[in-house]
Amino acid sequence: MVTLNRKLNIGLVSPYGWDAPGGVQVHIRDLAHLLIREGHRVSVLAPVEDEDALRDEFVVPAGRPIPIPYNGAVARVLFGPVAASRVRQWISQNDFDLLHIHEPAIPSLGLLACSLSDGPMVGTFHVAAERIRIAFAIVPIVEPIIERLRARIAVSEVARSTLLTHVDTDAVVIPNGIDLASFADASPRLEWQLGKTIGFIGRFAEKRKGLSLLFEAVPAIVDRHPDLRILIAGPGESEEALEWIDPSLHSRITFLGMLSDEEKRQFFKSVDLYIAPNTGGESFGIILAEAMATGAAILASDLPAFRFVLDDGRWGRHFRTGDWMDLARKASELLDDPKTLEEMAAKSHQGAERFDWPVVGRQILDVYDFITPKSENGEYEKVRLVADSRPWNRFPLGGLNRFEKNDGRV
Amino acid sequence: MMESYILFPLLALLFLFIWYLTFTASRLDRLHHRVETSWAALDALLQQRAALALEVSHLPGVDPAVAMVLTQSAFLAGEAEIAERSEAEDGLAATVELLYETEDFHQKNPALSERITNVSKRIEVAMRLHREAVHTTGVQRSRPLVRLFRLAGRAPLPVVHPFEISGERTL
Repeated sequence: MVTLNRKLNIGLVSPYGWDAPGGVQVHIRDLAHLLIREGHRVSVLAPVEDEDALRDEFVVPAGRPIPIPYNGAVARVLFGPVAASRVRQWISQNDFDLLHIHEPAIPSLGLLACSLSDGPMVGTFHVAAERIRIAFAIVPIVEPIIERLRARIAVSEVARSTLLTHVDTDAVVIPNGIDLASFADASPRLEWQLGKTIGFIGRFAEKRKGLSLLFEAVPAIVDRHPDLRILIAGPGESEEALEWIDPSLHSRITFLGMLSDEEKRQFFKSVDLYIAPNTGGESFGIILAEAMATGAAILASDLPAFRFVLDDGRWGRHFRTGDWMDLARKASELLDDPKTLEEMAAKSHQGAERFDWPVVGRQILDVYDFITPKSENGEYEKVRLVADSRPWNRFPLGGLNRFEKNDGRV
Repeated sequence: MMESYILFPLLALLFLFIWYLTFTASRLDRLHHRVETSWAALDALLQQRAALALEVSHLPGVDPAVAMVLTQSAFLAGEAEIAERSEAEDGLAATVELLYETEDFHQKNPALSERITNVSKRIEVAMRLHREAVHTTGVQRSRPLVRLFRLAGRAPLPVVHPFEISGERTL
């Protein structure tokens, strides 16, 4: 998979708190591991809540993140003069060949790093904000900053069209990666297979994850499938969620809480049908890719992000987003037909191959290769601080932006 | 004393304006650099494709007509001036596609065919990056302020070559 014929010194920037759960952080961690395996040197700059609990040795903490409610969840971001100074220090001390900034349009470390540095930079846009007004109200400020990026990566066609419409900038689509091999040998759990089971994973308290929609559909499905059981995994208060549904159905519903990675795979393998009833706000849907990798039969709403992952119904079925009747009908039909479910489960693994890290990683390395060509004098460009090229900082006593070079520490 | 009330704000405004001009100029400079970089990457890939096409044309058992077309467009793509080159690249892309359609090329030469597919995919990505850089630069250069103060200097206006547009596909 090697396309780059030299080893790079790469800086990754995470916008969100490293110790908080989240798809972006997982993506960056996996990418860092992959790059290290390929022989590159990697340093990740990220906000960190508890520095003592930090286990990944390639992470450089940039300070404690500030929780801000955003897009139906809480984003832990970091901004301000102290953070800016940490970014400058990090860039000065590391002689980066390339900076890979995640979420450069969100006011956090990514935007800071992008505005302070110059040279080979690539940015990945994860978010597909339907509530765009909040996210892109700052476009006039953000535009000249993210324009410095030599390449933009969008994690899905949805994220790409968000960029196209709101910032008028095109991006290369490279999906999020999953470790396909680790999903291959999951085995089902008997207690999750009793009766006809349908599964749901997610922070169910959030409206956009669609659990209440699924609950609306449940009575109709139960009519046709009296042995139906609903397994729900994910963090949240189960009592609150149970208020959305008729008490006579409570016995069919099991809340499993947060699942470990291993349990999640067993979960996908055990349920007859995995349902993703999300109503919006998704840019990728890594959970669907994981369900596919394990080999689950999937019924998902027809959000653009999900249609991208399931390749328009090729690796699973869709129902109309927000329409519980359609959900109930499609789910009942599928549960009627175990043979189809089996076929769907058997082939969905194949659909996840394009999300496998080696495939995704090669595409990312290709982009790295494109933005770091050899210049005419035969040398490669380095990432440097914008401030360093200002005339008044070239004097020997040089201002605030001087930091000791430090090669020993990552 | 009165003058300073007018003078200071005026001076401040002037400085702000000059700062904005230099800011825009350096922004443009950066954009031009981005176009150069993306073109360099695309150019390198196109040369690779031309080299591969030549390799294919030397293979035994390739239809002589196809081989000739390949040699010619590969030669042009590798050598020609940019105006002719666009046509040559178009031709090369078409011939390579033809090769895949008409012959059992893939079965006979899996390794070479793999390399060509690989390069073609990467060319599409590189084209998108280059088109994007050119587009952004063009938008910025068309601003009245930029034209009035000639902030782009003598840098030539970057263009997207015709073959990049015909070569566009959804990735």
